[in-house]
Amino acid sequence: MRLKLSILIAKLAGTLSKRFLRKSGETIPGRVLLALYPRAISILSQNRKIICISGTNGKTSTTKAIVEIISKLGSVTTSASGSNLDRGVATALMTKSEYAVLEVDELHLPRVISEAKPVAVLLLNLTRDQLHRMHEVKRVADKWATAAKSAPDTIFIGDVDDPFVALALNSAVKPLRVSFGGRKHLDGAVCPSCGVYLNWSGNNYKCSCGLTNSNPDELFEAGTAAYRNATFANVTGKVLGGGAIAINEQALERSVDRDYNGVTANLRLTKNPASWTEALNSVSGNDVVLIVNSREVDGIDTSWLWDISFMQLSGKHIIVCGERALDMAYRLHVEGIEVELTSNFDEAILKFAKGSHLHVLAAYTAFHELVTA
Amino acid sequence: MSQARIVRIHNELLGTYGDQGNAEVLAFRAKFHGITTTITDVRYNDPLPTNGDIYLLGGAEDAAQLLSLEALQRGDNLDILHFAIERGAVILAVCAGFQIIGNKFWANGKEVDGLGLLDVVSVPGEKRLVGDIKTISTVLGFELTGFENHMGRTILGPTAQAFGKVVTGNGNGDGKFDGAISGNIFGTYMHGPILARNPELADLLLTRATGRKYAQITDPLALKYATWRRKVIK
Repeated sequence: MRLKLSILIAKLAGTLSKRFLRKSGETIPGRVLLALYPRAISILSQNRKIICISGTNGKTSTTKAIVEIISKLGSVTTSASGSNLDRGVATALMTKSEYAVLEVDELHLPRVISEAKPVAVLLLNLTRDQLHRMHEVKRVADKWATAAKSAPDTIFIGDVDDPFVALALNSAVKPLRVSFGGRKHLDGAVCPSCGVYLNWSGNNYKCSCGLTNSNPDELFEAGTAAYRNATFANVTGKVLGGGAIAINEQALERSVDRDYNGVTANLRLTKNPASWTEALNSVSGNDVVLIVNSREVDGIDTSWLWDISFMQLSGKHIIVCGERALDMAYRLHVEGIEVELTSNFDEAILKFAKGSHLHVLAAYTAFHELVTA
Repeated sequence: MSQARIVRIHNELLGTYGDQGNAEVLAFRAKFHGITTTITDVRYNDPLPTNGDIYLLGGAEDAAQLLSLEALQRGDNLDILHFAIERGAVILAVCAGFQIIGNKFWANGKEVDGLGLLDVVSVPGEKRLVGDIKTISTVLGFELTGFENHMGRTILGPTAQAFGKVVTGNGNGDGKFDGAISGNIFGTYMHGPILARNPELADLLLTRATGRKYAQITDPLALKYATWRRKVIK
């Protein structure tokens, strides 16, 4: 079938699904398009500059920041928030533009690189996440390395403080190695390149095989994940010839403020040990709601809750809800932290007095439901 | 008042799938029984403590699994484990750890000799086995739940007994049995962590490790959690 006709049908499918199934309409068009025209990503990427953003955490917010920078250079199309599988990419590419800034799922990145031939790929980080799907962190890093090797014209920008990202950049012909002076990595005990016990000295590593975060191309100060993502947006923008934007950490955090009848809430996305740790550091007040789900995108296993220490929540007023609230309640119980369970978020809100300010740390699906509500 | 020394082996290597929680649950349940505990984290370059009462190993990726094996074969470590087993210490080994304490297993595409503490051999299967798992424990006689995420197919030798009979999931790969036991050595593919999902198993390990019988614990939340998981995994 011809591409134009396929796009027309795909767009129609999207409109119908939006209207009758009340779906967001972001994945259906891409899915239909790829079914009708499997090479669509490749064809639609021709004659435009593609920028891909991938990594365990920070994809969505960093993509938004890069769109802001690139939009000053020319017309931009981008993936809808969180719609980062190949079909989301295909949906985004259906809109004509000079630039396409695409958030891409870690496992879908190799396909998108090989078909879209991006001018730049930004690799933010790689830590344990959705292991029922990713299986192993190293497995994903190896796929990235293979993809990088086969894309000699693409500039690979990445955070070499993360050994898995460093491994991928080592395979790239055009790497841009960025460091923030080093930081600990939960899965960094083994060198992903050669398999020996990785030699760490404080926050920095140097393996006998050569894998290291020293001598980066660009060195920045250490900071929060939001700051690193903002920095990466600017580095990527500069590669494309764009001007820097002011680093606004708050804007880059995957968090949203909401008001529920006089109870204000800061909603924050928490989906794996790394993002939880970052989020726990942001909890300043006494009133906390935790929402844990275990649908496909949340990770269907909850074992990883035991990789996190929640001691920072000790002594706070905590309500837990979500499909896996009991998993969280028991994990906290064993750390000596007692919570109250409610059957849903609406009930959780009622547990706090008007004028309270809540920190809501929510699983991926729960965060999306609250933000789009 | 009795004491239990919990040894968490190579958590930095064998901690990818949340199994470090097993040590925390043991220490937590021990408090109810009036047992004081210590948790010792053994790192890759550390020798194993000789006086452990419960040694724990968790799940890992292949390269980490091989490093842990190499470290456990180094110096006196293997002798320390043999001696510990002789004096009745408990070993709980999950997934990659379970394979390590067996006779042979595969990692990074090659077969290696394990520690030989448990009479099992593991080979890679064609398909990764991922999902909820429920078994009926051969020791406790009731249901255990967990989550499995592995490529292993484990075959039991004559001196090992199956740990659980599979109700849901795959376990050792044939869908019939999960894990293996021999004396106080327990091997399983169940993450969760297994002792968080099944606190009665933590009690059994504490009983075995200290050689004393304890009264039943009243911890409603633990019971509620364990019961719920057993109910929802059909």
